[in-house]
Amino acid sequence: MKRDLYDKLTAYIIENQNKFYRLAFSYMHNQEDALDVVQNAVCRALEHSGELRNADAMKTWFYRILVNESLLFLRKNKRFVLDEDGADREIVYEEPGFEIQDSLYEQISRLDEDVQSVIKLHYYEEMTLREISQVMEMNLNTVKAKMYRGLKALKVVMQEVDV
Amino acid sequence: MNQMENAKKRYESIPIPDELSERVMQEIRRADMRRKTERKPVINRRGWRRIARGVSAAAASLAVVFMVMLNTNTVFAETVSTIPVIGTVARVLTFRSYEKETTDMKIAVDIPSIEMVNEDFSGLEKSVNEEIHALCEEYAREAEERAMEYRQAFLDTGGTEEQWAAHNIEIKVWYEVKSQTDQYLSLAVMGAENWTSAYSETRYYNFDLKEGKIITLKDVLGENYAQIADESIRNQMQERTAEGAMFWPEEFKGVTEDTSFYMNESGNPVVFFEKYEIAPGSEGTPEFEIVSGEN
Repeated sequence: MKRDLYDKLTAYIIENQNKFYRLAFSYMHNQEDALDVVQNAVCRALEHSGELRNADAMKTWFYRILVNESLLFLRKNKRFVLDEDGADREIVYEEPGFEIQDSLYEQISRLDEDVQSVIKLHYYEEMTLREISQVMEMNLNTVKAKMYRGLKALKVVMQEVDV
Repeated sequence: MNQMENAKKRYESIPIPDELSERVMQEIRRADMRRKTERKPVINRRGWRRIARGVSAAAASLAVVFMVMLNTNTVFAETVSTIPVIGTVARVLTFRSYEKETTDMKIAVDIPSIEMVNEDFSGLEKSVNEEIHALCEEYAREAEERAMEYRQAFLDTGGTEEQWAAHNIEIKVWYEVKSQTDQYLSLAVMGAENWTSAYSETRYYNFDLKEGKIITLKDVLGENYAQIADESIRNQMQERTAEGAMFWPEEFKGVTEDTSFYMNESGNPVVFFEKYEIAPGSEGTPEFEIVSGEN
């Protein structure tokens, strides 16, 4: 890769690190893991920087790595948590009092991985559906379908809360 | 959608830890190092990378570890005057000491030399000293390069010269005699930068003063050294975990002849791990004294 593009990539990463962190945090829900995820994503991106062909694709390319890294970490952790202290985790999830007062933010983070990624990227990161289709490596219609499914699920929950 | 706006506000109010920028910069510097030294192998540990340390083969079995120094305002010159004498057979002295201060950073380097009284050991003395000197010079040079790269990245992303000056970058290379007994001499040679712990380095040199050679864990613990050390380390990890410490036991792959250690005053080897090597950063650099019945 040209030195130029590499420099742009590092500058892009430094400039947007807070956004990366927030997205990672929205998956991990804790600081230590979110930091690890961002660091791993940066590491991976710089290591595979040769695969980045042009500066225009930088954003979606990096977000793809970041989202993948978050989901990977989440799955690894889940396994770990179940092995080690699954009981603790269950208590948190089964607390019934939270269910009703949960804000949309919490509901979003409980959606299916793909669906919540689409919603987060669109509403939090303000990406277009086309950008999201590049991040998620899905075709545009699939992204749309996931988006509608997500919104529908959220509305259903919302209505239930309202009633 | 009002609720969505609230969710977004909540998302945007996720606090950014101070550590983030340092962690990101660490990766960028690491990647820069990799690009410069592609031939050096890279070890992946839980996504963390470090440059495999490879200095010359003079004493190939020597172990290396990098250590943390967060202190920003040490007066480095103080350590220069002390010349520990190790029995009558060997001593460690400061071979070269210098301080350099520019507008960008402060560099303080103390390079040790081993002096063996027994002339039979002059070959060892020479090769070890050459290696130590090269190691120290290289560390100081690379640390300076890293600081200048950091400076560039800082200025390129909107930092001002004044803000940069407030970083008070310091680079330090120094040494410590870990133990000195009739039989063993353990010397730690260290390099650190006050703005990042990612490249801090400690390399241990353990000498058997009677045999006139560099020793490995095998020399100290015998043929079954790996079994003895692994068992002891795993037990100690469990004990400390019970007391509230955190380890990643699956990351501990067992000791080898290259595992980093030093000899303590009791004549027992102490195995040393890098930060993040087998435990979260909060555990620092874990050490395990291996007490073997026989030795």
